[in-house]
Amino acid sequence: MLKKTTIDKLPELAAALMEKGTLVAPIKEDAGFNFREITDTKQVDLIFHNTIISPKSAFFPQVEDFVQYQTGKSILEAAPVELNLKPTFLFGVRPCDVKSFQIMDIHFSGTGVVDPYWQKRREATIIFGFAFDMNEVADAAEFYHTLGIGAADPEGSDIFMVRKDDILMLKVITPKGEKLMTGLSFLIDASADEIKYFDDYIAKGHDYKTRYTCVDTEAIAREFEAIFDNADFWTKISDACLSCGVCTFVCPTCYCFDICDETLFSQGTRRRVWDACMFTDFTLEASGHNPRTKVYQRLRQKVCHKYSYHIRKYGVISCVGCGRCTRYCPVNIDIFSIVEEAVKAKWYKRL
Amino acid sequence: MTTNNPYIPMPVAISKVIDEVDTHDIKTFRFTFLNEEDGKNFKYLPGQFAELSIYGKGESPIGIASSPTQAGYVEFTVQRAGTIVPGLVTAALHDMDEGGTIGLRGPLGHSWPIGFLEKKNIVVVGGGFAFTTLRSLINFMLHDDNRSRFGEITVIYGARTPGLLLYKDELAQWEKRDDIKTVITVDKGDDTWTRRQGFVPAVCREVAPSPKNTVAVICGPPIMIKFTLPVFFELGFSKENILTSLEMRMKCGIGKCGRCNVGYKYVCSDGPVFSLAQLEELPRDF
Repeated sequence: MLKKTTIDKLPELAAALMEKGTLVAPIKEDAGFNFREITDTKQVDLIFHNTIISPKSAFFPQVEDFVQYQTGKSILEAAPVELNLKPTFLFGVRPCDVKSFQIMDIHFSGTGVVDPYWQKRREATIIFGFAFDMNEVADAAEFYHTLGIGAADPEGSDIFMVRKDDILMLKVITPKGEKLMTGLSFLIDASADEIKYFDDYIAKGHDYKTRYTCVDTEAIAREFEAIFDNADFWTKISDACLSCGVCTFVCPTCYCFDICDETLFSQGTRRRVWDACMFTDFTLEASGHNPRTKVYQRLRQKVCHKYSYHIRKYGVISCVGCGRCTRYCPVNIDIFSIVEEAVKAKWYKRL
Repeated sequence: MTTNNPYIPMPVAISKVIDEVDTHDIKTFRFTFLNEEDGKNFKYLPGQFAELSIYGKGESPIGIASSPTQAGYVEFTVQRAGTIVPGLVTAALHDMDEGGTIGLRGPLGHSWPIGFLEKKNIVVVGGGFAFTTLRSLINFMLHDDNRSRFGEITVIYGARTPGLLLYKDELAQWEKRDDIKTVITVDKGDDTWTRRQGFVPAVCREVAPSPKNTVAVICGPPIMIKFTLPVFFELGFSKENILTSLEMRMKCGIGKCGRCNVGYKYVCSDGPVFSLAQLEELPRDF
């Protein structure tokens, strides 16, 4: 089922979705685009390349309250915070970011203990994927093609959207998406030409080249294992690193978190907040021992986690090539180049 | 969000506090569950740990010191942290008395591999404060229901001074039994100490347990481990038959928060118990 509307009628679509629940969509802010909960239908803006912060916060918000407590009172009086989620529409997610949800699913709900917050937020959400504009030149930082992700992959979305000039085409991908779409009666059927355009566009998605290097999942895990002890290599690539952690905060697949208690007078909240392996105290133990005191050890942890440990543990690379870490790194550290260099490291002693 | 939420602790009350050492910074806390159901569901084996949770302070992952054969309660031996890093949770706990209530999340992690240890001789080597889950294992093996499942049991336990030995009453009881060989040593005795003096590695060499059908379970400070392992290799123990338990900074305890990894293993959910053969495959990042 392929439906369509026009870009100037986006507020109409936004209003319909807001009536059914919470709409989270890209909006233009001073520094660039970000996903935000929409309060005014005119805020939704699809003329963007990608957002600064990844959409992972829809399922893994930067701050998630667990429990409210009062100090000095019995633990029996502490109250878990209920989620009370309305149906949520995550609108305009690029294919590489949709892929990141599937990678995070393995960690949060697919293996071991199920994270109830991730799972409940995932279940409550309908994802509107949105193809990249292939008439634009690819962003210099991106490399999703390297990771086998196309510019127009509908997989993982409930509804997938392609924009052709001022026309927005929407296709149902999952039963969850179909149920929603049948309720959006103002969308009109696409023409036969448009259906062809849509199908061709998706097929072309893998021809649209971002930066590319040959990365075999099993092989790259081994490459990084082999150079783990090559301190020269890691020192060189991390020389400029400020340990600011921005790469992890904008990343769609970084999931490290802290659990902390914040008390003001006697009222307190236990919550989880994003944390980052780039920070010095991330692994500081109560004994004073810290296995990662050096910058290179922490950058090595981040890169090896994505391109080695995650493969060993879950079978997939924990990176979607969205390019955010490279784009927002204040000292231009580029994970794609690190991956390329790692492959070469065994041939050249010093790089 | 209360049911089946792994992040919400169960309420427990402190039913007993034992001051273990003469420096008074290590205490054993006995907890009873405030909800009977929680107590019934808390099924653990020696070697597992739990998060001790005090709202307003935080959480601390601590090995379970009691044995599952001791029904009705669960014990943790906790050192007050704080010489280098402020130990908020352990300090708050140390300041609590019997009757105080805290939270508990667990049991977490993998236990000592009881199935693997069965029908084998067991050498338990402990140093200082790192004896807590070993005590759990020893009491588990010595229980009437379990003793016949294991071969000879040898315990080599050392502390810096006599006053720093944990579980002194139990050590005395074990020494009286003929189904366990108990070797206690201190680095340096005091005026009243008339028994063995010497570092754990040297005592291990002296005791010289046979590697035949034997598994060594070793926990202690890094310096003790460093010098004890070569002794066991000399004695002929293979890496598969030497087990230890790792510590890393943890938060969630369930393999989600990404903090305690060594290579691709999370110490909380893939460990904390590892054989030396397993550790050998991981990068030196701990």
